[in-house]
Amino acid sequence: MIKFKNINVKFNEKSILKDINVSIKTGEFLGILGPNGAGKTTFIKVLLGLIEPTSGVVLIKGKKPKEFLMQNKGFVGYLPQHAIVNWNLPIRVIDAVLIDNIKPFGLFRKYKKKELEKVHYWLEKFGIENKMYNYIRELSGGQQQRVSLSRCMINNPKLLILDEPNTAIDAVYNVKLYDILKEINKEKKVTIVMVSHDIGAVTAYVDEVMCLNVKIHCHNFANNIDYSTVIKNLYGEDMNIVVHGDECKNCTVNRLKQ
Amino acid sequence: MIWDILIRAFIIGALLSVLLSVISYFVVMRKMTFAGVGIAHSAFGGIALNFLLGFTTYAFPLFFSIVASLIIAFMYKRGNMTEDSAIDLIFIFSMAFGVFILSISDGYSANMLGILFGNILSVNNGDLYLSVVVFIFGLTFMSYYFSHFQLITYNEELAEISGIKTTLLYYLFWLVLSVVIVLSIKLIGIILVNAFLVLPTLVGLNISRNYKGVVLTAAISSVLSIAAGISASYALNTPAGATIVLAYVTIWIFSLIYKKIKT
Ligand SMILES: Nc1ncnc2c1ncn2[C@@H]1O[C@H](COP(=O)(O)OP(=O)(O)O)[C@@H](O)[C@H]1O
Ligand SMILES: [Mg+2]
Repeated sequence: MIKFKNINVKFNEKSILKDINVSIKTGEFLGILGPNGAGKTTFIKVLLGLIEPTSGVVLIKGKKPKEFLMQNKGFVGYLPQHAIVNWNLPIRVIDAVLIDNIKPFGLFRKYKKKELEKVHYWLEKFGIENKMYNYIRELSGGQQQRVSLSRCMINNPKLLILDEPNTAIDAVYNVKLYDILKEINKEKKVTIVMVSHDIGAVTAYVDEVMCLNVKIHCHNFANNIDYSTVIKNLYGEDMNIVVHGDECKNCTVNRLKQ
Repeated sequence: MIWDILIRAFIIGALLSVLLSVISYFVVMRKMTFAGVGIAHSAFGGIALNFLLGFTTYAFPLFFSIVASLIIAFMYKRGNMTEDSAIDLIFIFSMAFGVFILSISDGYSANMLGILFGNILSVNNGDLYLSVVVFIFGLTFMSYYFSHFQLITYNEELAEISGIKTTLLYYLFWLVLSVVIVLSIKLIGIILVNAFLVLPTLVGLNISRNYKGVVLTAAISSVLSIAAGISASYALNTPAGATIVLAYVTIWIFSLIYKKIKT
């Protein structure tokens, strides 16, 4: 479904992403791991057409992201990093969940019964249906994230892009969250690309893992990855050893596991 | 005669302040109130040119404000200079330029006071018609795109992915803002016009937790402040602009007390 071809991103001459070649297949659940500043968010923004790469192309079903998303409204559900959402707006949970279903003259808008039902369904899924008419700035960080997740799902997207969905979510709910995502992936056949710090959870739930720190350091099935090497690669000193799957053609191949 | 002036001033003030209330919601929510200060002050250079050349048109002040607002918006968008320092630069330049121009034209200090603090006697029927037109266009624009701006304020990336032309809307927003501000200057004055970008929403937020309530309260309270301010300025023989703003601050204090009692 998605192809990155020789993507390079530079900000002020500094390489943020280098020689990225990846394919993401329909129905895949991809976890992206990497330290702070590794370029994970940049990767996602390039995928969504929010950042033009310095060189290379990204294609979603053969089209440039901007063009594709313009023609296929509701195809993607995007969860931006928690910190860049304005949680101070005087709106209720229901308004936030429906906020990207834009209508002209929205100040006077009344929601339809069907919209209310859909909102309720997803809020219930994420366990905050009793907060439907609460104000978003009065929620905890974890509850706000669940509002965002409900918003992502409200139009039944085919592609779910999550930038650190577990920010501010407590350990207990984290497990639940991954269960729900797994269910969305398997039962609704939604392709999921998820950025996370949470190496343990990513291992347990996703199909494939991509380790990113400017370059792709590994890309493989989750259960094929040697995590001590990954950690050493991403967070430690040695940045050359690479484990990867078939999609990662431009990486220096150095198979640790055959 | 005096009633004509007062009623005309009230209608102009009410129309422009209702529009400013809606704009103010987004200005406050995006923490851009200082931008309003910059835009209002940048009109000073244009108004001074009017005095020098003996014109009374809006062309010069509008030109100055629109250019300033586009520069401010552009700098902000590029993000390579903080918005505040860009505004500071424009603000300083336009004030200095205005004072320089005024000092070489006649009636320096009398003109200066009128520009800075407004003059209710200077508003005429032309201003009234213009206010009606700007009100209709501006309010239609802001209402039509309310959800769009709400989403942009919530998270700009989501807006872009939804296919909203965020950059175009952003510049149009600044354009409408500069036009309304320039029209308000005759009545309220450069220094105080910024009150209408801040106070409506601050009052709204004290009274209501919901955006609809916030905008509605903002609009009602600003019309109230115009009515109260103009009446009081007539009764006490004080400058209308300053009296209106004092009335608004009083309303704000009451709204704050209301909030404290309620919680
Ligand atoms: N607009 C920008 N201008 C300059 N540098 C940027 C910009 N956005 C991100 N960066 C830099 O790119 C690097 C990667 O950022 P990001 O993709 O947000 O990393 P991550 O999400 O993995 O923490 C960081 O070093 C960051 O400082
Ligand atoms: Mg990030």
